[in-house]
Amino acid sequence: MKSGLNLRGEAASNLKYEFKICLSNYKIPFGVFFVVMLSLIRGVAYSFEIGIAMEPPMAILAAVFCADTYTREITSRRSQVQRLYPMKKRMGSIAERMMIQEIFLTLLAVMGYGLFFLFQRPRISAMGQDGLRSEAVQFLLYFAAMVITVSFWGILSNLLSCVMRNMWMGIGACVILWVITNSGVIGDRYFGVWNIFSYTFRDVENSGDFSWICGKLVCTCAGIAAMAVLPQVIEKRGC
Amino acid sequence: MSIKIKDLTVTFKNKVTAIDHADLEIPGGIFGLLGENGAGKTTLMRVLTTVLSPTGGTVTLDGIPYNEKNYGKIQKKIGYLPQEIDLYPNLSVQECLEYMGDLAGVPRRECGERIGYYLEKTSLQEHRGKKIKQLSGGMKRRVGLIQALLNEPEFLIIDEPTTGLDPEERIRIRNLLVDCSKDRTILFSTHVVEDLAATCDRLAVMKKGKFLYTGSLKDLQQQAKGHVWLCRVKEEAMARELEKGYRVSSKQYVENGLQVRLISRTPPRLAGAVPCEATLEDAYIYITNRESDSCRQ
Repeated sequence: MKSGLNLRGEAASNLKYEFKICLSNYKIPFGVFFVVMLSLIRGVAYSFEIGIAMEPPMAILAAVFCADTYTREITSRRSQVQRLYPMKKRMGSIAERMMIQEIFLTLLAVMGYGLFFLFQRPRISAMGQDGLRSEAVQFLLYFAAMVITVSFWGILSNLLSCVMRNMWMGIGACVILWVITNSGVIGDRYFGVWNIFSYTFRDVENSGDFSWICGKLVCTCAGIAAMAVLPQVIEKRGC
Repeated sequence: MSIKIKDLTVTFKNKVTAIDHADLEIPGGIFGLLGENGAGKTTLMRVLTTVLSPTGGTVTLDGIPYNEKNYGKIQKKIGYLPQEIDLYPNLSVQECLEYMGDLAGVPRRECGERIGYYLEKTSLQEHRGKKIKQLSGGMKRRVGLIQALLNEPEFLIIDEPTTGLDPEERIRIRNLLVDCSKDRTILFSTHVVEDLAATCDRLAVMKKGKFLYTGSLKDLQQQAKGHVWLCRVKEEAMARELEKGYRVSSKQYVENGLQVRLISRTPPRLAGAVPCEATLEDAYIYITNRESDSCRQ
Protein backbone atom coordinates (compact mmCIF):
# COMPACT_ATOMS: atom_id res chain seq x y z
CA MET A 1 0.00 0.00 0.00
CA LYS A 2 2.77 2.33 1.06
CA SER A 3 4.90 1.52 -1.97
CA GLY A 4 1.86 2.03 -4.19
CA LEU A 5 1.39 5.49 -2.74
CA ASN A 6 5.09 6.20 -3.18
CA LEU A 7 4.94 5.20 -6.83
CA ARG A 8 1.90 7.42 -7.37
CA GLY A 9 3.73 10.28 -5.66
CA GLU A 10 6.82 9.77 -7.82
CA ALA A 11 4.74 9.72 -11.01
CA ALA A 12 2.92 12.88 -9.94
CA SER A 13 6.14 14.78 -9.20
CA ASN A 14 7.65 13.67 -12.50
CA LEU A 15 4.55 14.92 -14.30
CA LYS A 16 4.95 18.22 -12.48
CA TYR A 17 8.52 18.52 -13.74
CA GLU A 18 7.54 17.49 -17.25
CA PHE A 19 4.78 20.10 -17.16
CA LYS A 20 7.29 22.80 -16.25
CA ILE A 21 9.65 21.63 -18.98
CA CYS A 22 7.25 21.26 -21.90
CA LEU A 23 4.68 23.95 -21.15
CA SER A 24 7.06 26.84 -20.77
CA ASN A 25 5.83 30.32 -19.88
CA TYR A 26 5.43 31.55 -23.45
CA LYS A 27 3.57 28.49 -24.73
CA ILE A 28 0.43 28.81 -22.60
CA PRO A 29 -0.42 32.46 -23.47
CA PHE A 30 0.54 31.82 -27.10
CA GLY A 31 -1.91 28.90 -27.33
CA VAL A 32 -4.71 30.81 -25.62
CA PHE A 33 -4.14 33.88 -27.79
CA PHE A 34 -4.22 31.72 -30.93
CA VAL A 35 -7.60 30.22 -30.06
CA VAL A 36 -9.13 33.53 -28.93
CA MET A 37 -8.05 35.22 -32.16
CA LEU A 38 -9.30 32.30 -34.23
CA SER A 39 -12.73 32.41 -32.60
CA LEU A 40 -12.90 36.16 -33.21
CA ILE A 41 -11.66 36.22 -36.81
CA ARG A 42 -12.99 33.04 -38.41
CA GLY A 43 -16.66 33.52 -39.24
CA VAL A 44 -19.23 30.77 -38.62
CA ALA A 45 -22.96 30.96 -39.21
CA TYR A 46 -24.02 27.53 -37.88
CA SER A 47 -22.74 25.61 -34.90
CA PHE A 48 -21.80 22.62 -37.09
CA GLU A 49 -19.26 24.85 -38.85
CA ILE A 50 -17.19 25.27 -35.69
CA GLY A 51 -15.46 21.93 -36.21
CA ILE A 52 -14.54 22.92 -39.77
CA ALA A 53 -13.20 26.25 -38.49
CA MET A 54 -11.20 24.68 -35.67
CA GLU A 55 -9.67 21.44 -36.95
CA PRO A 56 -7.06 22.65 -39.49
CA PRO A 57 -5.73 25.54 -37.35
CA MET A 58 -5.59 23.29 -34.28
CA ALA A 59 -3.58 20.78 -36.32
CA ILE A 60 -1.01 23.45 -37.13
CA LEU A 61 -0.98 24.62 -33.52
CA ALA A 62 -0.35 21.04 -32.36
CA ALA A 63 2.51 20.64 -34.86
CA VAL A 64 4.18 23.85 -33.70
CA PHE A 65 3.54 23.08 -30.03
CA CYS A 66 4.96 19.58 -29.97
CA ALA A 67 7.87 19.99 -32.41
CA ASP A 68 10.33 20.71 -29.59
CA THR A 69 9.14 17.93 -27.27
CA TYR A 70 12.46 16.13 -27.68
CA THR A 71 14.54 18.45 -29.90
CA ARG A 72 14.88 20.80 -26.91
CA GLU A 73 17.11 18.09 -25.43
CA ILE A 74 19.29 18.14 -28.54
CA THR A 75 19.68 21.92 -28.72
CA SER A 76 20.51 22.14 -25.02
CA ARG A 77 22.99 19.20 -25.34
CA ARG A 78 21.18 17.40 -22.55
CA SER A 79 20.63 14.60 -25.05
CA GLN A 80 24.32 13.68 -24.68
CA VAL A 81 23.71 12.99 -21.00
CA GLN A 82 20.34 11.36 -21.70
CA ARG A 83 22.14 8.96 -24.00
CA LEU A 84 23.39 7.25 -20.83
CA TYR A 85 19.86 6.82 -19.43
CA PRO A 86 17.73 3.71 -19.99
CA MET A 87 15.66 4.00 -23.17
CA LYS A 88 12.49 3.05 -21.27
CA LYS A 89 12.89 6.09 -18.99
CA ARG A 90 13.63 8.39 -21.92
CA MET A 91 10.58 7.21 -23.84
CA GLY A 92 8.47 7.52 -20.70
CA SER A 93 9.55 11.13 -20.38
CA ILE A 94 8.67 11.88 -24.02
CA ALA A 95 5.29 10.15 -23.65
CA GLU A 96 4.51 12.20 -20.54
CA ARG A 97 5.44 15.44 -22.28
CA MET A 98 3.28 14.50 -25.27
CA MET A 99 0.38 13.67 -23.00
CA ILE A 100 0.61 16.99 -21.11
CA GLN A 101 0.75 18.98 -24.33
CA GLU A 102 -2.09 17.01 -25.95
CA ILE A 103 -4.31 17.55 -22.91
CA PHE A 104 -3.56 21.27 -23.00
CA LEU A 105 -4.31 21.43 -26.73
CA THR A 106 -7.55 19.50 -26.27
CA LEU A 107 -8.59 21.92 -23.54
CA LEU A 108 -7.82 24.77 -25.93
CA ALA A 109 -9.99 23.11 -28.56
CA VAL A 110 -12.85 22.84 -26.05
CA MET A 111 -12.32 26.45 -25.02
CA GLY A 112 -12.34 27.48 -28.69
CA TYR A 113 -15.68 25.73 -29.23
CA GLY A 114 -17.18 27.71 -26.37
CA LEU A 115 -15.62 30.98 -27.55
CA PHE A 116 -17.18 30.57 -30.99
CA PHE A 117 -20.55 30.36 -29.29
CA LEU A 118 -19.70 33.35 -27.10
CA PHE A 119 -18.35 35.68 -29.78
CA GLN A 120 -20.27 34.65 -32.87
CA ARG A 121 -23.52 33.18 -31.54
CA PRO A 122 -23.94 30.65 -34.37
CA ARG A 123 -27.36 29.21 -35.22
CA ILE A 124 -28.10 25.81 -33.80
CA SER A 125 -29.77 23.09 -35.85
CA ALA A 126 -32.99 22.70 -33.83
CA MET A 127 -34.69 24.21 -30.80
CA GLY A 128 -35.82 22.57 -27.58
CA GLN A 129 -34.75 19.26 -26.08
CA ASP A 130 -33.91 17.70 -29.47
CA GLY A 131 -31.78 20.66 -30.42
CA LEU A 132 -29.87 20.46 -27.15
CA ARG A 133 -29.30 16.73 -27.59
CA SER A 134 -28.07 17.12 -31.17
CA GLU A 135 -25.72 19.95 -30.09
CA ALA A 136 -24.35 17.74 -27.34
CA VAL A 137 -23.75 14.89 -29.79
CA GLN A 138 -22.18 17.32 -32.23
CA PHE A 139 -19.83 18.57 -29.49
CA LEU A 140 -18.88 15.04 -28.43
CA LEU A 141 -18.03 14.13 -32.02
CA TYR A 142 -16.05 17.35 -32.35
CA PHE A 143 -14.23 16.52 -29.11
CA ALA A 144 -13.36 13.00 -30.28
CA ALA A 145 -12.17 14.25 -33.66
CA MET A 146 -10.04 16.98 -32.05
CA VAL A 147 -8.41 14.58 -29.59
CA ILE A 148 -7.30 12.43 -32.52
CA THR A 149 -6.28 15.42 -34.65
CA VAL A 150 -4.11 17.16 -32.05
CA SER A 151 -2.59 13.86 -30.95
CA PHE A 152 -1.72 12.86 -34.50
CA TRP A 153 -0.19 16.20 -35.49
CA GLY A 154 1.70 16.49 -32.22
CA ILE A 155 3.18 13.01 -32.48
CA LEU A 156 4.00 13.45 -36.17
CA SER A 157 5.65 16.80 -35.63
CA ASN A 158 7.79 15.43 -32.77
CA LEU A 159 8.82 12.42 -34.85
CA LEU A 160 9.76 14.46 -37.92
CA SER A 161 11.66 16.96 -35.79
CA CYS A 162 13.62 14.10 -34.20
CA VAL A 163 14.34 12.53 -37.58
CA MET A 164 15.68 15.85 -38.87
CA ARG A 165 17.14 16.86 -35.48
CA ASN A 166 15.57 20.27 -35.97
CA MET A 167 12.14 21.45 -34.84
CA TRP A 168 11.77 23.96 -37.68
CA MET A 169 12.36 21.25 -40.27
CA GLY A 170 9.79 19.12 -38.48
CA ILE A 171 7.27 21.95 -38.50
CA GLY A 172 8.04 22.63 -42.16
CA ALA A 173 7.43 19.00 -43.13
CA CYS A 174 4.12 19.06 -41.22
CA VAL A 175 3.06 22.27 -42.97
CA ILE A 176 3.65 20.64 -46.36
CA LEU A 177 1.51 17.65 -45.35
CA TRP A 178 -1.09 20.04 -43.91
CA VAL A 179 -1.32 22.04 -47.15
CA ILE A 180 -1.73 18.87 -49.23
CA THR A 181 -4.30 17.15 -47.03
CA ASN A 182 -6.23 20.30 -46.14
CA SER A 183 -6.87 21.19 -49.78
CA GLY A 184 -10.09 20.26 -51.51
CA VAL A 185 -8.23 19.85 -54.79
CA ILE A 186 -5.75 17.22 -53.58
CA GLY A 187 -6.65 16.10 -50.06
CA ASP A 188 -10.39 15.69 -50.37
CA ARG A 189 -10.44 14.67 -54.02
CA TYR A 190 -7.75 11.99 -53.84
CA PHE A 191 -8.05 10.67 -50.31
CA GLY A 192 -11.81 11.17 -49.74
CA VAL A 193 -13.00 9.70 -46.45
CA TRP A 194 -9.45 8.40 -45.77
CA ASN A 195 -8.08 11.93 -45.73
CA ILE A 196 -6.63 12.92 -42.35
CA PHE A 197 -8.86 16.02 -42.51
CA SER A 198 -11.97 13.96 -43.28
CA TYR A 199 -13.80 15.60 -40.35
CA THR A 200 -13.29 19.03 -41.93
CA PHE A 201 -14.47 17.79 -45.36
CA ARG A 202 -17.44 15.81 -44.03
CA ASP A 203 -20.96 16.40 -45.33
CA VAL A 204 -22.16 18.75 -42.60
CA GLU A 205 -25.75 18.67 -43.77
CA ASN A 206 -25.95 14.91 -43.33
CA SER A 207 -25.63 14.36 -39.58
CA GLY A 208 -25.90 10.61 -40.04
CA ASP A 209 -22.75 10.45 -42.15
CA PHE A 210 -19.91 9.03 -40.08
CA SER A 211 -17.67 8.03 -42.97
CA TRP A 212 -15.13 10.66 -41.79
CA ILE A 213 -14.19 8.22 -39.04
CA CYS A 214 -12.10 6.42 -41.68
CA GLY A 215 -9.79 9.45 -41.87
CA LYS A 216 -9.48 9.55 -38.09
CA LEU A 217 -8.69 5.85 -38.13
CA VAL A 218 -5.81 6.63 -40.49
CA CYS A 219 -4.63 9.31 -38.03
CA THR A 220 -4.83 6.88 -35.11
CA CYS A 221 -2.91 4.12 -36.91
CA ALA A 222 -0.29 6.57 -38.19
CA GLY A 223 0.08 8.05 -34.70
CA ILE A 224 0.59 4.62 -33.14
CA ALA A 225 3.13 3.74 -35.84
CA ALA A 226 4.95 7.03 -35.24
CA MET A 227 5.16 6.32 -31.50
CA ALA A 228 6.37 2.79 -32.23
CA VAL A 229 9.31 3.93 -34.38
CA LEU A 230 10.24 6.80 -32.06
CA PRO A 231 12.62 4.75 -29.85
CA GLN A 232 14.69 3.75 -32.90
CA VAL A 233 14.72 7.34 -34.12
CA ILE A 234 15.80 8.60 -30.69
CA GLU A 235 18.50 5.93 -30.51
CA LYS A 236 19.90 6.83 -33.94
CA ARG A 237 19.20 10.56 -34.20
CA GLY A 238 18.55 11.65 -30.64
CA CYS A 239 22.02 12.83 -29.65
CA MET B 1 38.59 0.63 -13.34
CA SER B 2 40.72 1.09 -16.44
CA ILE B 3 39.91 2.12 -19.97
CA LYS B 4 41.94 0.79 -22.86
CA ILE B 5 41.89 2.36 -26.30
CA LYS B 6 43.60 0.58 -29.17
CA ASP B 7 44.08 1.93 -32.68
CA LEU B 8 40.98 4.12 -32.33
CA THR B 9 39.90 5.99 -35.44
CA VAL B 10 36.91 8.28 -35.91
CA THR B 11 36.26 9.61 -39.39
CA PHE B 12 33.17 11.70 -40.07
CA LYS B 13 30.99 11.58 -43.15
CA ASN B 14 32.77 14.65 -44.54
CA LYS B 15 36.02 12.58 -44.48
CA VAL B 16 37.49 14.58 -41.59
CA THR B 17 39.47 12.31 -39.27
CA ALA B 18 38.94 13.51 -35.72
CA ILE B 19 40.87 10.65 -34.07
CA ASP B 20 43.64 8.99 -35.98
CA HIS B 21 44.79 5.50 -34.89
CA ALA B 22 45.10 6.49 -31.23
CA ASP B 23 46.24 4.23 -28.37
CA LEU B 24 45.68 5.13 -24.73
CA GLU B 25 45.27 3.54 -21.34
CA ILE B 26 43.42 5.49 -18.67
CA PRO B 27 44.14 4.26 -15.14
CA GLY B 28 42.18 5.05 -11.94
CA GLY B 29 42.22 8.57 -10.46
CA ILE B 30 42.10 11.80 -12.42
CA PHE B 31 43.50 11.59 -15.92
CA GLY B 32 43.96 14.82 -17.85
CA LEU B 33 43.31 15.29 -21.52
CA LEU B 34 45.03 18.33 -22.88
CA GLY B 35 44.87 19.75 -26.37
CA GLU B 36 44.03 22.75 -28.47
CA ASN B 37 40.51 23.35 -29.82
CA GLY B 38 39.76 20.82 -32.53
CA ALA B 39 42.41 18.36 -31.29
CA GLY B 40 39.81 15.59 -30.94
CA LYS B 41 39.22 15.68 -27.18
CA THR B 42 35.46 16.06 -27.38
CA THR B 43 35.23 13.39 -30.09
CA LEU B 44 37.14 10.99 -27.84
CA MET B 45 34.77 11.75 -24.99
CA ARG B 46 31.77 11.22 -27.23
CA VAL B 47 33.15 7.80 -28.14
CA LEU B 48 33.74 6.95 -24.49
CA THR B 49 30.19 8.00 -23.58
CA THR B 50 28.82 5.81 -26.42
CA VAL B 51 27.36 8.85 -28.18
CA LEU B 52 29.60 8.18 -31.16
CA SER B 53 30.63 4.84 -32.63
CA PRO B 54 34.26 4.64 -33.74
CA THR B 55 35.13 3.98 -37.36
CA GLY B 56 37.94 1.63 -36.33
CA GLY B 57 39.84 0.27 -33.36
CA THR B 58 38.68 -0.98 -29.99
CA VAL B 59 37.76 0.51 -26.65
CA THR B 60 37.27 -1.50 -23.47
CA LEU B 61 36.03 -0.41 -20.07
CA ASP B 62 37.11 -2.78 -17.33
CA GLY B 63 37.46 -5.44 -20.00
CA ILE B 64 33.99 -4.82 -21.47
CA PRO B 65 34.35 -4.05 -25.18
CA TYR B 66 32.45 -1.06 -26.55
CA ASN B 67 29.81 -2.42 -28.89
CA GLU B 68 26.04 -2.03 -29.25
CA LYS B 69 25.45 -5.18 -27.23
CA ASN B 70 27.37 -3.87 -24.23
CA TYR B 71 26.30 -0.22 -24.41
CA GLY B 72 23.63 -0.71 -21.73
CA LYS B 73 26.16 -2.19 -19.28
CA ILE B 74 28.77 0.48 -20.06
CA GLN B 75 26.33 3.40 -19.83
CA LYS B 76 25.43 2.43 -16.26
CA LYS B 77 29.07 2.85 -15.23
CA ILE B 78 29.48 6.30 -16.76
CA GLY B 79 28.73 9.84 -15.63
CA TYR B 80 29.14 12.64 -18.15
CA LEU B 81 29.29 16.41 -18.05
CA PRO B 82 29.45 17.80 -21.59
CA GLN B 83 31.30 20.99 -22.43
CA GLU B 84 28.21 23.17 -22.74
CA ILE B 85 25.02 21.86 -21.28
CA ASP B 86 21.90 23.90 -20.60
CA LEU B 87 20.09 22.27 -17.73
CA TYR B 88 16.32 22.72 -17.39
CA PRO B 89 15.98 26.50 -16.93
CA ASN B 90 12.46 26.42 -15.45
CA LEU B 91 13.26 23.83 -12.79
CA SER B 92 14.89 24.58 -9.47
CA VAL B 93 18.27 23.01 -8.64
CA GLN B 94 16.60 20.37 -6.46
CA GLU B 95 13.89 19.61 -9.04
CA CYS B 96 16.38 19.42 -11.89
CA LEU B 97 18.57 16.94 -10.01
CA GLU B 98 15.60 14.86 -8.86
CA TYR B 99 14.31 14.74 -12.42
CA MET B 100 17.66 13.79 -13.96
CA GLY B 101 18.32 11.26 -11.21
CA ASP B 102 14.97 9.63 -11.89
CA LEU B 103 15.70 9.49 -15.63
CA ALA B 104 19.07 7.92 -14.84
CA GLY B 105 17.19 5.19 -13.00
CA VAL B 106 18.42 6.07 -9.50
CA PRO B 107 15.83 5.03 -6.87
CA ARG B 108 14.04 8.08 -5.44
CA ARG B 109 15.25 7.68 -1.86
CA GLU B 110 18.91 7.14 -2.75
CA CYS B 111 18.68 9.95 -5.24
CA GLY B 112 17.39 12.33 -2.55
CA GLU B 113 20.21 11.37 -0.19
CA ARG B 114 22.87 11.79 -2.87
CA ILE B 115 21.45 15.16 -3.95
CA GLY B 116 21.62 16.38 -0.35
CA TYR B 117 25.17 15.10 0.03
CA TYR B 118 26.49 16.61 -3.18
CA LEU B 119 24.64 19.91 -2.72
CA GLU B 120 26.38 20.31 0.58
CA LYS B 121 29.73 19.28 -0.89
CA THR B 122 29.37 21.80 -3.71
CA SER B 123 28.11 24.58 -1.40
CA LEU B 124 24.83 24.74 -3.28
CA GLN B 125 22.63 23.79 -0.33
CA GLU B 126 21.24 27.30 0.09
CA HIS B 127 20.58 27.61 -3.65
CA ARG B 128 18.60 24.36 -3.99
CA GLY B 129 15.33 26.28 -4.42
CA LYS B 130 16.69 28.65 -7.05
CA LYS B 131 15.75 28.12 -10.68
CA ILE B 132 18.58 26.98 -12.93
CA LYS B 133 18.20 30.11 -15.07
CA GLN B 134 18.95 32.25 -11.99
CA LEU B 135 22.32 30.59 -11.33
CA SER B 136 25.75 31.89 -12.31
CA GLY B 137 27.89 30.00 -14.83
CA GLY B 138 29.97 28.39 -12.10
CA MET B 139 26.92 27.25 -10.13
CA LYS B 140 25.43 25.72 -13.27
CA ARG B 141 28.65 23.74 -13.80
CA ARG B 142 28.48 22.53 -10.22
CA VAL B 143 24.88 21.38 -10.75
CA GLY B 144 26.05 19.73 -13.98
CA LEU B 145 28.75 17.93 -12.04
CA ILE B 146 26.22 16.70 -9.46
CA GLN B 147 23.95 15.29 -12.18
CA ALA B 148 26.94 13.39 -13.57
CA LEU B 149 27.60 11.91 -10.12
CA LEU B 150 24.03 10.94 -9.22
CA ASN B 151 24.34 7.36 -10.44
CA GLU B 152 27.67 7.00 -8.56
CA PRO B 153 29.60 6.29 -11.79
CA GLU B 154 32.83 4.37 -11.82
CA PHE B 155 33.99 6.38 -14.80
CA LEU B 156 33.35 10.12 -14.82
CA ILE B 157 33.91 12.08 -18.02
CA ILE B 158 34.18 15.84 -17.70
CA ASP B 159 34.61 18.01 -20.75
CA GLU B 160 36.21 21.41 -20.15
CA PRO B 161 34.35 22.19 -16.92
CA THR B 162 36.39 25.28 -16.08
CA THR B 163 36.12 27.17 -19.37
CA GLY B 164 34.80 30.69 -18.89
CA LEU B 165 34.79 30.56 -15.11
CA ASP B 166 36.38 33.05 -12.72
CA PRO B 167 39.48 31.85 -10.78
CA GLU B 168 37.56 31.12 -7.58
CA GLU B 169 34.99 28.95 -9.36
CA ARG B 170 37.73 27.18 -11.29
CA ILE B 171 39.54 26.29 -8.09
CA ARG B 172 36.26 25.09 -6.56
CA ILE B 173 35.51 22.83 -9.53
CA ARG B 174 39.04 21.46 -9.50
CA ASN B 175 38.87 20.68 -5.80
CA LEU B 176 35.53 19.00 -6.28
CA LEU B 177 36.98 16.76 -8.94
CA VAL B 178 39.80 15.75 -6.63
CA ASP B 179 37.26 15.01 -3.85
CA CYS B 180 35.26 12.84 -6.24
CA SER B 181 38.25 10.95 -7.60
CA LYS B 182 38.41 8.40 -4.78
CA ASP B 183 37.49 4.94 -6.07
CA ARG B 184 36.73 6.13 -9.56
CA THR B 185 38.37 7.12 -12.82
CA ILE B 186 37.91 10.70 -13.98
CA LEU B 187 38.76 11.81 -17.48
CA PHE B 188 39.18 15.55 -17.32
CA SER B 189 39.49 17.38 -20.60
CA THR B 190 40.72 20.95 -20.75
CA HIS B 191 42.93 23.36 -22.60
CA VAL B 192 43.85 25.15 -19.40
CA VAL B 193 47.21 23.74 -18.32
CA GLU B 194 46.96 25.08 -14.75
CA ASP B 195 43.83 23.03 -14.14
CA LEU B 196 45.67 19.82 -14.88
CA ALA B 197 48.67 20.77 -12.80
CA ALA B 198 46.34 21.25 -9.85
CA THR B 199 44.35 18.06 -10.20
CA CYS B 200 46.08 15.15 -11.85
CA ASP B 201 49.44 13.50 -12.16
CA ARG B 202 48.90 11.70 -15.44
CA LEU B 203 47.76 13.16 -18.72
CA ALA B 204 47.64 12.78 -22.47
CA VAL B 205 48.33 15.56 -24.94
CA MET B 206 46.29 15.50 -28.13
CA LYS B 207 46.83 17.22 -31.42
CA LYS B 208 45.03 16.65 -34.70
CA GLY B 209 43.51 13.41 -33.47
CA LYS B 210 46.76 11.88 -32.22
CA PHE B 211 48.30 11.48 -28.79
CA LEU B 212 51.60 13.34 -28.78
CA TYR B 213 52.35 12.45 -25.19
CA THR B 214 51.01 10.10 -22.53
CA GLY B 215 52.50 9.95 -19.08
CA SER B 216 53.08 11.90 -15.92
CA LEU B 217 53.13 15.67 -15.64
CA LYS B 218 56.63 15.50 -14.24
CA ASP B 219 57.94 13.59 -17.25
CA LEU B 220 56.20 16.02 -19.58
CA GLN B 221 58.00 18.89 -17.91
CA GLN B 222 61.22 16.89 -18.06
CA GLN B 223 60.91 16.56 -21.83
CA ALA B 224 61.05 20.33 -22.24
CA LYS B 225 64.08 20.63 -19.99
CA GLY B 226 66.91 22.42 -21.75
CA HIS B 227 64.61 23.81 -24.42
CA VAL B 228 63.29 26.86 -22.58
CA TRP B 229 65.26 30.09 -22.59
CA LEU B 230 64.93 33.52 -21.12
CA CYS B 231 66.24 36.58 -22.90
CA ARG B 232 65.85 40.30 -22.72
CA VAL B 233 65.24 42.62 -25.67
CA LYS B 234 65.03 46.38 -25.75
CA GLU B 235 62.02 46.97 -28.01
CA GLU B 236 58.77 45.33 -28.96
CA ALA B 237 59.93 45.17 -32.60
CA MET B 238 62.82 42.94 -31.57
CA ALA B 239 60.49 40.67 -29.65
CA ARG B 240 58.28 40.38 -32.73
CA GLU B 241 61.36 39.48 -34.75
CA LEU B 242 62.10 36.71 -32.23
CA GLU B 243 58.58 35.33 -32.61
CA LYS B 244 59.28 34.66 -36.27
CA GLY B 245 62.12 32.29 -35.42
CA TYR B 246 61.07 30.77 -32.09
CA ARG B 247 58.03 29.80 -30.04
CA VAL B 248 57.48 32.52 -27.49
CA SER B 249 55.58 31.27 -24.45
CA SER B 250 55.49 34.62 -22.68
CA LYS B 251 56.47 38.27 -23.00
CA GLN B 252 56.71 40.64 -20.11
CA TYR B 253 57.62 44.30 -19.84
CA VAL B 254 60.47 44.77 -17.36
CA GLU B 255 62.50 47.79 -16.33
CA ASN B 256 64.68 48.21 -19.41
CA GLY B 257 62.88 46.35 -22.17
CA LEU B 258 60.99 43.08 -22.54
CA GLN B 259 61.70 39.71 -21.01
CA VAL B 260 60.89 36.96 -23.51
CA ARG B 261 60.52 33.26 -22.78
CA LEU B 262 61.55 31.18 -25.77
CA ILE B 263 61.09 27.54 -26.58
CA SER B 264 63.71 26.17 -28.88
CA ARG B 265 65.14 22.71 -29.52
CA THR B 266 68.59 24.21 -30.03
CA PRO B 267 70.17 27.07 -28.06
CA PRO B 268 68.96 30.33 -29.58
CA ARG B 269 71.51 32.45 -31.42
CA LEU B 270 70.98 35.38 -29.11
CA ALA B 271 73.37 37.14 -26.84
CA GLY B 272 72.24 36.89 -23.23
CA ALA B 273 69.79 33.99 -23.66
CA VAL B 274 69.90 31.80 -20.55
CA PRO B 275 68.28 28.41 -20.02
CA CYS B 276 65.50 28.31 -17.45
CA GLU B 277 63.15 25.87 -15.69
CA ALA B 278 60.32 24.62 -17.94
CA THR B 279 56.76 25.11 -16.75
CA LEU B 280 53.95 22.78 -17.73
CA GLU B 281 52.76 25.35 -20.22
CA ASP B 282 56.22 25.51 -21.82
CA ALA B 283 56.29 21.74 -21.98
CA TYR B 284 52.89 21.65 -23.65
CA ILE B 285 53.99 24.17 -26.28
CA TYR B 286 57.23 22.27 -26.79
CA ILE B 287 55.47 18.91 -27.23
CA THR B 288 52.73 20.18 -29.53
CA ASN B 289 55.14 22.04 -31.80
CA ARG B 290 58.11 19.69 -31.65
CA GLU B 291 57.70 18.26 -35.13
CA SER B 292 56.97 21.46 -36.98
CA ASP B 293 59.79 23.27 -35.15
CA SER B 294 62.35 20.61 -35.98
CA CYS B 295 61.54 21.16 -39.66
CA ARG B 296 61.74 24.93 -39.22
CA GLN B 297 65.03 24.93 -37.37
